Amino acid sequence: MSTKHADSAKQFLYYKGSAQWHNETLWFVRHKRDLVSRSLPEWETLRELSSQIKRHTISHLDTYLEQFAANAEANGAIVHWAVDAKEHNDIVFNILKKHKVRKVVKSKSMLTEECRLNPYLMARGIEVVESDLGERILQLMDQAPSHIVLPAIHLKRQQVGKLFEEKLHTEKDNCDPTYLTHAARKHLRQEFLTADAAMTGANFGVAATGDVVVCTNEGNADMGTSMAKLHIVSMGIEKVIPSYQSLGVFHRLLARSATGQPSTTYTSHYRKPQAGGEFHIVLVDNGRSKIAGNPDHWQTLKCLRCGACMNTCPVYRRSGGYSYTYFIPGPIGINLGMLQAPSRYFDNVSACSLCFSCENVCPAKIDLGHQIYKWRQDLNGLHKADPMKKYMSYGMKYVFKRPVVYHTGLKLAPAINKLPRFLIYNKLNAWGLGRELPQFAKESFSEMWKNNNVKSVKNE
Amino acid sequence: MKIGLFIPCYVNALYPEAGVASYRLLTSLGLDVEYPINQTCCGQPMANAGFESQALPLAERFEALFEKFDYIVAPSASCAAFVRGNYPDILKGQHLCQAFEKIYEICEFLVDVLHVKQLPSAFPHKVSIHNSCHGVRELKLSSASELNIPAYSKIKDLLEMVKGVEVFEPDKPDECCGFGGMFSIEEPEVSVAMGLDKLKNHMATGAEYITGSDSSCLMHMQGIARREGFPIKFIHVVEILAAGL
Amino acid sequence: MNSREDILSSIRANLSKGFELPMQHIETISYPDKTARFMEISTAVGGEAMLVKEGEDINALLRSTYPHARKIVSNIPEITIANMNPDMVENPQMLDGADLSVVRGQLGVAENGCVWIPQDSKERAEIFICEHLAILLDKNKIVNNMHDAYHDLTFNDYGFGTFISGPSKTADIEQALVIGAHGATSVTVFLI
Repeated sequence: MSTKHADSAKQFLYYKGSAQWHNETLWFVRHKRDLVSRSLPEWETLRELSSQIKRHTISHLDTYLEQFAANAEANGAIVHWAVDAKEHNDIVFNILKKHKVRKVVKSKSMLTEECRLNPYLMARGIEVVESDLGERILQLMDQAPSHIVLPAIHLKRQQVGKLFEEKLHTEKDNCDPTYLTHAARKHLRQEFLTADAAMTGANFGVAATGDVVVCTNEGNADMGTSMAKLHIVSMGIEKVIPSYQSLGVFHRLLARSATGQPSTTYTSHYRKPQAGGEFHIVLVDNGRSKIAGNPDHWQTLKCLRCGACMNTCPVYRRSGGYSYTYFIPGPIGINLGMLQAPSRYFDNVSACSLCFSCENVCPAKIDLGHQIYKWRQDLNGLHKADPMKKYMSYGMKYVFKRPVVYHTGLKLAPAINKLPRFLIYNKLNAWGLGRELPQFAKESFSEMWKNNNVKSVKNE
Repeated sequence: MKIGLFIPCYVNALYPEAGVASYRLLTSLGLDVEYPINQTCCGQPMANAGFESQALPLAERFEALFEKFDYIVAPSASCAAFVRGNYPDILKGQHLCQAFEKIYEICEFLVDVLHVKQLPSAFPHKVSIHNSCHGVRELKLSSASELNIPAYSKIKDLLEMVKGVEVFEPDKPDECCGFGGMFSIEEPEVSVAMGLDKLKNHMATGAEYITGSDSSCLMHMQGIARREGFPIKFIHVVEILAAGL
Repeated sequence: MNSREDILSSIRANLSKGFELPMQHIETISYPDKTARFMEISTAVGGEAMLVKEGEDINALLRSTYPHARKIVSNIPEITIANMNPDMVENPQMLDGADLSVVRGQLGVAENGCVWIPQDSKERAEIFICEHLAILLDKNKIVNNMHDAYHDLTFNDYGFGTFISGPSKTADIEQALVIGAHGATSVTVFLI
């Protein structure tokens, strides 16, 4: 009885020290979020507004996308529409090919991860350089991100030090984060200066003005798009928002929820191409339009990709991003993976104790935990339900429908207390792997009641 | 008012003393309390495991058994939360669906319905409150640590009425203990890691007892404590509220 | 049918109920002394904000604040210490190596230390490529929060603008905060 997530989590937890560091460090990010959220008396009102604005926008998504595209085009942007990941990749490649681009510098975009853009471009002879420090480290290691905002959270400074020694020729055994970051600055500065094109994601697309808004702390999106005259934006269609009025609400929630900062260092608004340059926006569907009509799961489209749900999730903190089979981990990842391909990603559905902490930190009030509960109900229909859980559930129902059987069970159960340990505690007993079994009471409550041993306390 | 006592399946089998304390506490307040003997389970374990459909016959039984009562009171936040939150969906289209409005976890019943302001009980010990997830986030028994709202705790308010008790709350006061029903055996390593961390936070308060409204959470932590040889003790909050009655 | 129509019709086919846009007039935080709050937050995010005294010579102040700056980039006519004009360079690469850039901010935001900087020269790189960024801001143009900022801000014809709050930074290595990632390693707002 075990899912891929449970198996990977076991491995993750085997290394107690790093598992504890991962857990405590991410909890600290959650804690920072708590502190800043309490500095704004209107915090919960903002969350409610954010949720309602998103709901309104999604329920008029076609209108807002048309408005966004019209305004962006009026500003001089070239807007493309991609039905799926392949079309997105083709569009991007064709733009780069047309401009004879040999090297493109990228800032972070989970959408381009979803579309697997990097390997697609590299296979066609275009060099792709990730410019976010965490993403660049992972690119040099040929690893995937393990968190959507803190991609290299699973790595230790020693690993980065060794990597930079090899790839950037830094000082031997120097793993001071400041030293390594400044080395990366120098290295990536050269990449920015020599790139032929820049790609970014989009945190928001403002329908009323045609703005693409990109939020970073490092300034990598801005460096890239300042140097190269060709800028391509990859934007999921759910990123469109009505106006600057709504943007105020989302901006105030985003960085506070993600890292506990009142704002990211840079909040850049792109409207027009640079002189002599081109500004392309690729709007991507890849299943989102269908999700909009899914009554149980449309709320995933409200997601701001802040990562707060991961930081609070007690399971994610103790299992790490690589325990999940979908490229986005944690509560939002479980749901997004199931929406993409349920028969492929169902293993992640076990990674949840239904504590609902994620719902309370989500700046868009997505019902993440309740959606996971709903996916669990769907697993049997997909023939992915764990047989042990299925038989236990059917078995329990059988017993609980029949009070006579139930009461007999209660009478006989205490005998289990006396069984020899080797019978109870073995590989078949997952409970017993780290816990003692509870003791069955000699007399259950219903037996006591029947034998008149439950005495009331009469008021004198 | 007629109160129907609902004793969850595992409380019945493993911690009947919590059931006894519930009955004694409610009757000490002059209430008319009955225990429908044919009750078994609310259906939560199978629903959380993904077999909500298996809970339907149990929900129907539950409704019928408790039909005549004005209130259904249970010493279990997660069971009360399940009935309140899930029965309307599970019983959609069925003609009898009232339990979700009548069911209360016992602490919220004492505070919100009976408005209890004093208790004659005594329990001169240090206790650490275990704020279970369903209690905090579904039943709103205390303010969730994630939210920017005024702090409150119904369990703490009640405990402070008990003579001699010293109340503590652990760091990360409402982080999940890792039980989660079938989660505890489907993801045993994560479940135990969560439980160990929770236990350590509770023990760091210096408390002798860990107490709360969910015997399931207590059972899970108790299992780990016994395996590790931790000296900390466990007691359902209703037993403290009824202590000495 | 093209992809645009495919996507829009797929959306229309999947939508059922329309929800209203909520009224967005909420009680938002406001600060009794916006300037003081702005200055406090600027420091908290790793930057600095300093008040320029009445009649003080901005060029002398910049000189004394950045005594080692050699290559100084600005197209603001009053900034006479500038020796490279971003409007005159052939390409943005030529701005690399800039020790100091001096730009104009349009408004500041007290709740988070952000300054809105609409692109005001041919090369937006001047804002990001330098080691040190000096932002000139009218101290009467500080608003309480982002709602007010988004209500008031404007763009120049270049069609780009950015809010900057403090110097560039990252915590991507073991969550250890490092100031100075790819943008400016220091940001000072000169409140005039």
